Amino acid sequence: MAKKNLSYSEALAELESIVRKLQSGDCDVDELVADTKRAVELLTYCKGKLTTTETNLRLALEQLTGE
Amino acid sequence: MSEAKALTLRQLNGLISRTINREPGLQRVWVVAETSDVRVVGGHCYMELVEKNPITGAVESKLRATIWATNYTKINFDFYEATGQRLASDIKIMVCVSVGYHPVYGLSANITDINGAFTVGERLRLRREILAKLKAEGVAEMNRTLPHPELPLRIAVITARGAAGFGDFAKQLLMNPYLLNFRVKLFEAVMQGNTSAVSIICALERIVLEPEEFDYVVIIRGGGAVTDLAAFDNYELALNVAQFPVPVIVGIGHDRDSTVLDDIASVSVKTPTAAAAWLIDRAGSHLAALERIGTQILNSARSKMESSLRRLDVIAGLLPSITSGIINDRRNRLTGILEPQVMDAGFRTTASQRQHIDALRNIVDAMSPENTLKRGFSITMFDGKAVKDASKLVAGLKIKTRLAKGSVESIVSN
Repeated sequence: MAKKNLSYSEALAELESIVRKLQSGDCDVDELVADTKRAVELLTYCKGKLTTTETNLRLALEQLTGE
Repeated sequence: MSEAKALTLRQLNGLISRTINREPGLQRVWVVAETSDVRVVGGHCYMELVEKNPITGAVESKLRATIWATNYTKINFDFYEATGQRLASDIKIMVCVSVGYHPVYGLSANITDINGAFTVGERLRLRREILAKLKAEGVAEMNRTLPHPELPLRIAVITARGAAGFGDFAKQLLMNPYLLNFRVKLFEAVMQGNTSAVSIICALERIVLEPEEFDYVVIIRGGGAVTDLAAFDNYELALNVAQFPVPVIVGIGHDRDSTVLDDIASVSVKTPTAAAAWLIDRAGSHLAALERIGTQILNSARSKMESSLRRLDVIAGLLPSITSGIINDRRNRLTGILEPQVMDAGFRTTASQRQHIDALRNIVDAMSPENTLKRGFSITMFDGKAVKDASKLVAGLKIKTRLAKGSVESIVSN
C-alpha cells in the first residue's frame, strides 16, 4: 500500500514517473506487473484524498447550514 | 446698548433667513463632500455633509442635508445606476444643493441632484491610491503570487452567517457531482456597512492562528445584495488580505463592479457561486488528471503486454519454418555434397562387383558340363546317374555315354 505519510504531490510524482517508464519501453514484463500494481495503489490513494462519499458530504452540509 | 435696540431671536433668525434664502449664490450649487450619518426616515433621507482633514481625518466642515422624499427615489435610483451602490455614509459625493435657513430647524442643504460619475471616479481614485500604497510597501502581489495548494479542499469561509451567499456556496461545494471531499469552516464577519473591513480583518486573524488547516480562504458576500461595495475599498483590509499566508478567493464583487480586494487577492470571482465553481473546477481538474494517468497506465501496460505477446507469437510462428529450414539445409547439404559422393562410391562399387561377377561367371561357364564335354570329356551314366566308380558296373549292364554332341549306348563286357 501507499505509505500513510505520502503526500498527494509525492504520490502524483511517483505515478507520473511510472507512466514515463511504461511509455519509454524501458520496462520489462516482470516489472510491468509490479509497476501497474503500484500505480493502482497510488491512484486509489490519491483519489481517496480527493473524494469522499455522498453521505459524508451531505452530513457536512447539514452541519454547516443547520448550525 | 438699550434693550429697545436689541433684536428678538425671531427677528435675528428672520434676518438670517432673508439673507440666506434670498442669496442666489446659495441656490442650486454643486458641492463636493463626504456623507455621514445617512438615514432614511419617513421616505426622506437625512445626512450630514462633511469635509475631513486629509491627513488627520478630523471633520473641518459640516452641513446638515436632506433629500426630500419627492427627490429621494429618483436620486437614489440614479446614484445606484451610476455607481452600483446605495447612498450610505462615508461616500464621497457631488450633489446639487440649495442652502436654506429655517428659524427653528436652522441651516440645511436641500439636495436636489447627484453626480454619480464623481463617486465612481472617487472610488477609482481611492482604489488606485490603495494599490499604489500597497505596491510601494512591496505587498500588493504577495497573496497573488502565493503557490496554490496541492489540493484545494479545506476551505475557510469569511461571510455573514445565514447570508444566502454562504448557503449557496456551501451547498454547491458540498453537493459537487464528483464527490470531492471539501471541508468548509465558517468564520463569521459583518459583510455590509462601515464595520465590514474591521470585521473581516478579525476573521482573518482567527484563521491565521491555524493557517496549516486551510488550503484557501474564501471571502464572499450574500448573493443579490446591493449593499455598499465601497466598504471593501479599505487600505487596512487590503493590507491584511495582501499579506495573508493562505491564498484568498474574493467573491464580493458585483456584476459590473469590483473592489481593491479583487486586485490583490489570489483569485477574484464575481459571486459566491462562482467561487464554489472555481474550487470544484480546480479540485475536479486533479481528479481528471488522475483519470488521465490511470488511462495512460492502463494503455501503456496493455500495449506493453500485447507487444510482448506479439513477440512471442512471432517467435512461435517462426519456429516451424526455422526447424524446416534447418532440415532442408541439412538435406540440401546431403544432396549437394554427400549424395554425389555416395552415388559415385556406389557406382564404383557396382562396377567392381560386376567385373568380379563376370569373372566368376566365366569360371562357372568354363566349368559347366557342356563346356567340359566340348573339350572332349564324356559322361558315363547308368540308370540316369553319372557313373563315378567302375567297380560298381558288372558285365551285361547297359550304360549310356554322353558326348558333346549326342550319346551312345553300350554293354559292359567284363
